Amino acid sequence: MQCLLVSRFPHVISLKSSRRSRLYDSGWTGILLVVVLLAAWELSVSTGTVRSDSWPALSSVLTALVHGATSESWASMFGSTLYRMTCGFLLGTVLGIVVGVLFGVASYVNRVLMPTLEIFRTTPIPAIVPPLIFLLGVDDELKITIVALAAFFPVALNTLAGVRQVDPIHLQVAQTFRVPRLKAILRIQLPSTLPYVFAGARISLGISLIVAVVTEMLAGSEGVGYFIVSMEYAMRADDMYAAIIILSVLGYVLNRLFVLLEAKCIRWARVLHLRLT
Amino acid sequence: MKAPAAPLSPGRRESDLLVIKGVSKTYGSAAQGVMAIRTVDLTVRAGEFMSIVGPSGCGKSTLLQIAAGLLPATVGEVQLGGTKVTSPPEGMVCLFQQYSRSLFPWLTVEDNVRFAFDHHASLDRGKTGERCRRYLEMVGLADFRRNYPWELSGGMQQRVAIARALAAEPRILLLDEPFSSVDALTRLELHGLIVDIWSRTGVTILLVTHDVDEAVFLSDRIALLTKRPSVLAKLFENKLPRPRDPVSSGEDPDFLSLRHELLSRVLDPR
Amino acid sequence: MSNVARRFRQLIIEPMPGLLFIAACIAGLEAMASAKWINPAFSPVPSLVGHRLWEILDSGAVLEPLAQTLGLLTAGYFLACGVGISLGLLMGYYRTAYVLFEPLLELLRPIPKPALLPPLMLVLGLGSAMKIAIVFLGALFPILINTIQAARAVDVVLVDVGRTFRSGPFRIIWRVVFPASLPMILAGMRVSLGLGLVLVVLAEMLTGAGGLGSRIVDLQRSFQAQEMYAWTVVLAGLGLILAVAFNWMERTVAFWSFRR
Repeated sequence: MQCLLVSRFPHVISLKSSRRSRLYDSGWTGILLVVVLLAAWELSVSTGTVRSDSWPALSSVLTALVHGATSESWASMFGSTLYRMTCGFLLGTVLGIVVGVLFGVASYVNRVLMPTLEIFRTTPIPAIVPPLIFLLGVDDELKITIVALAAFFPVALNTLAGVRQVDPIHLQVAQTFRVPRLKAILRIQLPSTLPYVFAGARISLGISLIVAVVTEMLAGSEGVGYFIVSMEYAMRADDMYAAIIILSVLGYVLNRLFVLLEAKCIRWARVLHLRLT
Repeated sequence: MKAPAAPLSPGRRESDLLVIKGVSKTYGSAAQGVMAIRTVDLTVRAGEFMSIVGPSGCGKSTLLQIAAGLLPATVGEVQLGGTKVTSPPEGMVCLFQQYSRSLFPWLTVEDNVRFAFDHHASLDRGKTGERCRRYLEMVGLADFRRNYPWELSGGMQQRVAIARALAAEPRILLLDEPFSSVDALTRLELHGLIVDIWSRTGVTILLVTHDVDEAVFLSDRIALLTKRPSVLAKLFENKLPRPRDPVSSGEDPDFLSLRHELLSRVLDPR
Repeated sequence: MSNVARRFRQLIIEPMPGLLFIAACIAGLEAMASAKWINPAFSPVPSLVGHRLWEILDSGAVLEPLAQTLGLLTAGYFLACGVGISLGLLMGYYRTAYVLFEPLLELLRPIPKPALLPPLMLVLGLGSAMKIAIVFLGALFPILINTIQAARAVDVVLVDVGRTFRSGPFRIIWRVVFPASLPMILAGMRVSLGLGLVLVVLAEMLTGAGGLGSRIVDLQRSFQAQEMYAWTVVLAGLGLILAVAFNWMERTVAFWSFRR
C-alpha cells in the first residue's frame, strides 16, 4: 500500500522524505484556510472596507442564525417546506419504483414510454412550473407535483438499472427449481435491486428539498424559498444568509439520516432473503 | 545518450552499469513496519542479461522498483553509470507486469510508442513516426500502428509495451515479470523476441521473474533472493552457449543442473 | 446485418413505438380540445401551440431570447469546466492542494445552489454577470468533485509509465492523469450541464430581464397560454438538443471507455 502512495504522489513523499511533508499530511492547512476566509469576511465589514446592505457581517449572520433557530415562525416555515418536500418525495419515489420495475420487466413498455420520459427528463424543472401553474394553480398541489416530478427520475432510472442488472441466470435457476414467482422476486430480485433503489432515492431526497424551495421562490406565498426571496427584496441579507445556512445543514442532515436508514433497510432485506431460503 | 562518465570509485569496474548498494526496504515505521528487503548488493554489467529470481513475496519487484527510481530505498542506494538514482534516470526504462494497464487506451499503438520520446513539442511528426515505425517493426507490429491497444491480444500488447520501452533508446531495461500473464506459447515467442532484441541493440537487461526456466534460458547471470526479509542468497553464472534454442536447451545437462539447483533453493522453505 | 441496415434500424425503427406514442398523445390532446373537454385558456392545444411555435421559429423571434439563455449558460459552463478541471486535477494529484481546499469544498458543497440566487442578485444585480456567476457556481461542484475523484483514482501503473519515461509533473498531469480521468470528468460535466440550464432559466424567471425564462414567465402572467406553451416547447427542445449533443461529444472524446 505504501508503495502505491509513494508512486502516486511523488512530489509529496520524495526520496528526501522530510518532516515538512508529514506535517501537511495531517490536514490543518484546509481548516486554517476556512478560518482565514471567515475572518476576512468579518473584517471586511467591521473595518468598513465593504459597506453595503447586500454584504452582511459574519457576526450579524450568526446572530440572525441563532435568532432563527430558536424562533417559532422559522420553525413553521421550515416545517411547511419539509411537508411539501416529503409529500412530493414519497409520491415521486413510489411512482419511480413502479415505473422502474415496470420498464425493467416489460421491455415493450420501455420502448413505448421511454422517449416521452427522456423529453421530460431533459427539460429544466423551472420550465415546467408556469405550465403547471395554469393547470394546478399556485397552492400546495402545484409544489408537491413538481417535487414529485423531479424526484421521480433518479429513482425510476436507478430502479430500472437495478432490475436490469439482476443476472438472468439466477432467475433461470429459480425457474428450474420451480420456485414460485413471488418467492423468486423476493429472494433474487429484491435484494440486488434494493441498493439501486436506495441510491436513486438518496439523490431524489436532495433534489426534492431544493425543488421544493425553488417552487416556493417562483410561486410561493410561504415557505423557505419564498422567505429567502422576500428577504432579498427587503434587503435583509443577514436573515437571508441565515436561512440558507439552516437549509444547507438541513439538507446535509437529511442525507446522513437517509444513509443510516438505507443501511438498516438493506440489512433487513438481507435477513428476509436468508429467512426465505 | 550516454551519460558523462563519473569518476570511478574504488572497486568499481568500467563495465558496471547498475550498482545496487546495501539496499534495504521497510514498509511502515521502523518499529511496526514490514521489512521486505533486508539487504541486497548487486551489480549489473553493461550489456549483460541478468535475472532476479526468488520465492513469492521476496521483494524482487520491490527491488526492481527501487532500482528503477520509482520507489525510495529505506537504506542504501542505487547508482546508474556512477550517478545516484533518486528518480527514474536518463537511460533507463522500466517495463511493468500489468502491460495491458500500462498502455494508454486513448492513444493508438503508434502514439503510445511516441510517448516514450516526444518530450519536446518541437519534434517533427514525420520524424517521430519514422522512429515509432522502426521499433514497432522490431517487435513485428508495424502493421498495427493505427490500432488501439484494446483491439490487440495480450501478447501483442506486451510487444507494444516493449517497443515503447525501446523507443526511448535506453541503456538498460528493467523488466518486472513481463511474461507471467501470457499463455505458455506466447511466452516462448516473447522469449525469442527479447533475446533477439537484446543481441541486436546491445541494451542491458535486468529481468525479475518467478519462472526459473525462463531465467535460465534468457540470462547470463542469475541472482537468487531468499524469502522475506530477503538477502542475496547466491549469484549464479550461466555459461550456456548462445544462441540458445528453447526446444533443445531443455535437454541440455548444464541447463538442467542449473535449473535443478535454482528451483530447489527457491522452493526450499528455509 | 450491413452497416446501413443497422443504422436505419437504430434511427428509425427502434424509436418508432415511442414516437408513435408521442404522436398519439398529441392527437389525443387535439381531439380533447375539439370536443371542448379541455379549456384552451389554460391547457395546451396542439394545433394552436404548433401554429405559435412555427411563427416563433419562422420569424426569427426565437433567436434573441434563445441566444441570450444559451450564451449565458455557455459562458458560466465553460468557466466552470476550466476552473473545475484544472483545480480538480491539481487537488487530485497533489496531496497538499487536496488537504488545503477540501474542508472549504465540503462546506460549500451542501449549499443548494438555487438558494444562492437571491444573495447573488443582491450582490451582483440582475444582469448577465449575476447569471453567469450562478451558472458557474452551480456547474463547478459536480465537475470539480468528479475530477478530484477520478484524478485520485488514476491507475498507478499509468502514472508509473509516465515516470519511467521521465515525465515532469506537468506532463504527467496533462498527458496521463487528465485523459485517464476523462470518462468520469465527462459524467460530472453532464450533471453540470443540466444543473446550469436549470439555474440560468431560474435566474431569468426571477429577474425578468430577457432570455427564455423571463419570456415564459411574462406570458404566464399575462395569461397567454398557447404562446407560453410554444416557448416552453422551445426550452424543452433546447434541453433535449443539449443532452443529445453532449452524448455525441462524450462518445467522440472518451471513445475508449465505450469499447472496453
